[in-house]
Amino acid sequence: MDWTLILTSVAGLGGLGLIIGIVLAIASVKLAVKVDEREAAVRAVLPGANCGACGFPGCDGYAAAVASGSAALNKCSVGGANVARSIGDIMGQEAGAVEPVVAVLVCRGGKDVAPARFQYKGASDCRHAALLLGGPKACVYGCVGLGHCAKVCPFGAITMGRNGLPVIDERKCTGCGNCIRGCPKGTLLLVPRSKLVILACVSHDKGRAVKDVCRVGCTACNLCVKVCPAQALAMVGNLPVMDFTKCIDCGICIHKCPTKSFIDRAPGRPKAVINPRCTGCQACVKACPFKAIEGEPNKQHKVLADKCIGCGECRKVCPADAIDMVGALGHARKGTEG
Amino acid sequence: MDPAKILMGAFLVNNIILMRFLGVCPFFGVSTTVDTSVGMSAAVLFVMTLATWVSWLLYHVLLLPLGLVFLRTAVFILVIAGLVQFVEMVLKKYVRGLYSALGIYLPLITTNCAILGVTFLNIDYEFSLLQSTLFAVGTSLGFALAIILFAAIRERLEDSPISPSFKGYPIAFVGASLVSLAFLGFTSLFGISL
Amino acid sequence: MTSTPTRWQYFADGIIKENPVLILMIGLCPTLATSVSARDALGMAAATSFVLIGSNVVVSLIRKVVPGSVRIPIFIIVISTFVTIIDYVLQAYQPALYRVLGVFVPLIVVNCIILGRAEAFAYRHGVFDSLLDALGKSAGYGLVMLVMGSVREILAAGTWFGYAVTPAWFRTAPVLFMIFPPGAFLLIGILKGIVNRLTASKV
Repeated sequence: MDWTLILTSVAGLGGLGLIIGIVLAIASVKLAVKVDEREAAVRAVLPGANCGACGFPGCDGYAAAVASGSAALNKCSVGGANVARSIGDIMGQEAGAVEPVVAVLVCRGGKDVAPARFQYKGASDCRHAALLLGGPKACVYGCVGLGHCAKVCPFGAITMGRNGLPVIDERKCTGCGNCIRGCPKGTLLLVPRSKLVILACVSHDKGRAVKDVCRVGCTACNLCVKVCPAQALAMVGNLPVMDFTKCIDCGICIHKCPTKSFIDRAPGRPKAVINPRCTGCQACVKACPFKAIEGEPNKQHKVLADKCIGCGECRKVCPADAIDMVGALGHARKGTEG
Repeated sequence: MDPAKILMGAFLVNNIILMRFLGVCPFFGVSTTVDTSVGMSAAVLFVMTLATWVSWLLYHVLLLPLGLVFLRTAVFILVIAGLVQFVEMVLKKYVRGLYSALGIYLPLITTNCAILGVTFLNIDYEFSLLQSTLFAVGTSLGFALAIILFAAIRERLEDSPISPSFKGYPIAFVGASLVSLAFLGFTSLFGISL
Repeated sequence: MTSTPTRWQYFADGIIKENPVLILMIGLCPTLATSVSARDALGMAAATSFVLIGSNVVVSLIRKVVPGSVRIPIFIIVISTFVTIIDYVLQAYQPALYRVLGVFVPLIVVNCIILGRAEAFAYRHGVFDSLLDALGKSAGYGLVMLVMGSVREILAAGTWFGYAVTPAWFRTAPVLFMIFPPGAFLLIGILKGIVNRLTASKV
């Protein structure tokens, strides 16, 4: 019985264990990290979707940043104004306003209007298909339609429609941005909820090149730029860029566009109705971009309801306050309520 | 042994996962996305290098002179377990960014047979401290290469049409078989046969 | 309604229903690395079983006196004791097998099966039940190793446990692919696929 060997091994291993134990015990005290109660409180009011829209790694990350003072209090677009207010209460500060945003598909090229160049039989995901010559669609800029956005939406707000384009449920969408980040084509955009008119095409080609691959693609014909009453559109590289601060949501561009490339987010539009105050001055007849008003000089004018799109240009020029915009409250052109 | 050969051998020729079969469990568990794979690789590099140093020192300074070589299994695994816990506490306090990035992978590494395997291999190959370090770094880089490559493949596999009984682990293993076949081609590269 | 498992089920579950490698998917590394031939595979399974049974029994014996916060290091010490024992036993009595198994003998200490069963079962159950659990898991593990080792040996060398079981023309040009890592991965993938198919149809 080699007692020395047994003793040395017991002493050696025991000693090692003791040292490790002591070191860890001391370390757990000296290296203790103070937990900020405010961080826990902020974390509790966050929705917990971990979508990353705030720009921080998950809700835990945002709560830590808020508690340490390195993040604005209104970054959670999923929680919206309510959560911002709660965070403000916890931190004892004013949270800024939260601009509600929504995801919008800026491509109208479904299977019916935008044909495919080839049959794709690969992994069923937009990002994989996009790697193959830009995707199976004839238009290389357009939505691939294999549903990656639907897969990554944490709120189940996206489903694939019958024509191969994603359909976004605006009631469920929280503007977290997951779909935008995942889309390989950039055909999804985060848009302020107040913005009603959006160009739905991202093709950088023009004219024939666009028409050949998509019936509803923007051909850069410049018509929208010319007819916009607020000069909110400017053509930049074959696509009209909208200045959101100037746009009055009148909807003229939507109807004037020959390829129907704009989308109207308004659930409804009003119609112009001429009341008896009309003096027959013909100002509105000339002003209407759609020739939707008829009337003899000095006689009561009348609006042709099926041609009227509710843009409100007539109301702008009427000297007698004889035009009312009726119906679809709150979705008329800015400044024409009532 | 030539330092370049040690590095190359550990990195490619005898890739820790695809050739030596060490670290297979986290390989399949963590390689579902590229991001998690990168995190795991960073944690492995970090812990493997530290564990190599501590275990090598303990072996040559304590166990060998005292004739306690038979205790190496117990000593090495205890050291690794304690080291990982200690490193976790230090990171949490002083390098918060790295701690958040490594996340749950740090405690998961304790039972990673790649870490313990490398400490044993260093003894078997009779490496010096410098050689052991090179071996550990080369091995971690090889781990990173294999796991990140494989994660990219698995991300594609997720969207591919696969028969239901093969979805998940089975097709992942078949995929690993093909990647391993590719790495088999590195045999005797530069005359390395470590 | 499932009743608490009977004693027999502690043993039987480990073989098929909770087979450590094919169902629980733990302990993969040594399975793939050492199943090159049927005999080596069974040798590894025997070594692992020794450690599993030993550690389950000891952990169950001392479970009442081990405080919860330090239980993992205690388990590790118990397991490494048994691993060191089998390490030296193999070195002395089965040197050929020891050379084949190489670094995977000391690596039994981090085999997830052993630590996993100690934590999930032996710490919470009596000695006899823990023994049954260990025997069941060992049997299950041995079964998988036998299958893998046999398939790989038959395909790559044409022999089984060293005895020729294939015609001579096959043995002159066998499927060497199965000896190498790709073969191991492929085999376990197919086995897992078969298991999935069988368990799916039972549901």
